[in-house]
This record gives sequence, structure tokens and C-alpha cells, in this order.
Amino acid sequence: MKHQVMLRIGPASFRVGSAWPQPIVDLARLYAAYPQPEDGIADFTVRLEPTRPWRRFIRPSVFIGGDHMLADAAPMALAHGLLAAEMGMNMQMALGWRRHLLLHASCVEKDGRALVMTGESGSGKSTLAAQLGERGWRLMGDEFALLDPTTGQIFAFPRLVSLKNQAIAVMQGEAPAERFGPLMRDTPKGDIRHLVPNRSAVTRMDEGTIPALLLFPRFGFAPEVREVGQGEAFMRLTQASTNYVTLGERGFTALTRFVTDIPARAIDFSSGDEAIAMIDRLWETLA
Amino acid sequence: MAQDQYRAEPASDYILRSLDDVTLVYHRRSGQTHIVVSPVPEILAALTGDISSTAEIVARLSHDYDLGDPHDALAAVQTHLDEMVALGLAHVA
Repeated sequence: MKHQVMLRIGPASFRVGSAWPQPIVDLARLYAAYPQPEDGIADFTVRLEPTRPWRRFIRPSVFIGGDHMLADAAPMALAHGLLAAEMGMNMQMALGWRRHLLLHASCVEKDGRALVMTGESGSGKSTLAAQLGERGWRLMGDEFALLDPTTGQIFAFPRLVSLKNQAIAVMQGEAPAERFGPLMRDTPKGDIRHLVPNRSAVTRMDEGTIPALLLFPRFGFAPEVREVGQGEAFMRLTQASTNYVTLGERGFTALTRFVTDIPARAIDFSSGDEAIAMIDRLWETLA
Repeated sequence: MAQDQYRAEPASDYILRSLDDVTLVYHRRSGQTHIVVSPVPEILAALTGDISSTAEIVARLSHDYDLGDPHDALAAVQTHLDEMVALGLAHVA
């Protein structure tokens, strides 16, 4: 590809190539503090290509390609090229990663123990992790938590935090302006702005952590905490994992150990500060 | 039509894990995970030995559990056995 960048996020490395310079310029700036692939060879390739040759210039439209692809992935506007690159990297992880049980969850760490939060899109898990990451916790990831089937540890995947709609303003109140990417309006996911994780999240990205608490947050409801049984936690985590079936018995063993060892709670909340106060209390008593 | 003779899937072909509220059965040959509740784990445990009839399985279960009316118990266990056959956890002998 004409323009490309290589980078490593936790254990996974990527080569992102693009027919246009701007998405690569943006990625290189936002991932400047991230390491290169250890042996110079990337685990995954992501390609941002025009849907037709002339569409590179006329109403440019980005098609996301790579080692692992979804047949019905829709092309995106070039103005959203950075989002396309991030979606392409996520897609490679979701469809191709085999070394860990991949949980669609955010994760933060304190005192060597991890808090894992999973839920539907819009549940607030990503924003909560980003906020906690600016308030003394180490951000391990806003999208994927990697559960090691051998050790039971969680490993980090601290990609750029993908802030959507109201979460953008929330995090502008928490992190300095130079850590934000360009504002992309009216993307298929609404308004999007990326936030670079802070220095500690990047420099400590290779440190595994013992999981200590599992939360199912849900934004937009009156505050409430509910105990979640092991069976419900197991079922919801199989739904939140993109490679549970692929890993077979290793995935089963890892996940049963996780839900047996880790307390789980569902929390409803109506504001970030309210949720963080609930998390602090739960962490104090359960973790 | 319900069958009357059953044998269990070899114990080495599945993993049972009891959680606080359900039991998980990981079936190695299919790679499928089944989430089951009582009485399926109990029937699986009673389905020992070579080949058992439904009546023999009910008799073993009756030793440890109060199954109530024998006729109803036989019909209920029969239904569960047929479901377990469909999942690959038991076989018609």
C-alpha cells in the first residue's frame, strides 16, 4: 500500500496500509508512543482501499480489508478514515486472535488487580474505563480484555479509546487536549473522537493482571446494584466473547475458572460520578 | 417414539462444571457447551454402567431423591433422556 504504519497494542501487532495519506498521518500521531512489532512482523494487516479505483479521488470511499474480513462490511467516507482503521484493527482481533479468550469488555487495573466491565454498546463501559484511567487506575482497554487460558491473568489491549457522542465532552473535562484525535461527525456510530490512553497505560501495556471484579454496567437507569450468579455471568461472557467457540476446551476452562473465582455485579447508573462512587464501594468490599 | 434403552456418552468425552446456579457440560466431540439444571446432572450421573432402561435409571434416582408418583417420574425422566440424546450426552442403545 502507498501509505502505511506499524504498531503494537499489548500482545497484538498491526500493519495498517492506506491508499490515502491522512488516516496514516492521524494513526502515526496518535500511536506515536506505542512500540513497534517486536520482530518487525505484524500479526495482522489492515488495508484501507477505495471501493473502485476512481473512488480514491472522487467522493473517496474507504473499504476496510485485511487478513480477516466481514463479507458485508460497508464502505465508509474518507473523512472517517481513522475510524475505519480502528474498526479494521478491531475486526482483525475479533476474528483472528487465538492466544487469549477475547472478551468484549473494558478493563482497568489498580494494585495489581483488574476490574473487568462488559455490556452492550451504550452501556457506558468504555467511558467509565476512560474516566477511571484518568483517576488513578491503569487503563487496560476500552474494547477488549484478553483472558490468558493458561494463567487466568488478564492482558491489556489499550488501543485508542473510542469516545462516542456525549462521552466526548465528558472526557474533555478529564484529559488534556493534545491527547485527542480529530472530531469525526456523523459517522455510522454517531460523533466519534479518539483519546490516546495516558503514559502509564501505554508503558505498562505488557503487564498481565489477576482479575478481581466483574461488572455489568448499564447507563441511563436509577442507581442499583444487583448480584449476578455464576451461570448468568458465564452465559453473558460467552456472548461477549468473539472466540469462545474457536478456543474450544481452553476457552471453556478459562471462562469457568473466571466466573467461579471472580465476584460479579450488575450496576445501573445515571452519571459517571455516581458509577465511580458505586465502583469504589464495590472494589473496597469485593476485590 | 421414545426409546427405552440408553447408554451414557463416555465420561471422558465431556466435562461437568457446577456453578452456583447451573451446571455446565462441555461436550468435547461437538465443542458445544450446554447449560443445564437439575435433574439433568443427576440423570447423567445415574446413567452409569453399560446399558440402562428408563425404569432402571428411575430406580437409581429414587434411591437418592424423592421422585413422587412413579408413573410421572418415569415420563419426566424419559423426556429428559430424549433431550440428552438430542444433545449427544446420551445414546439410544
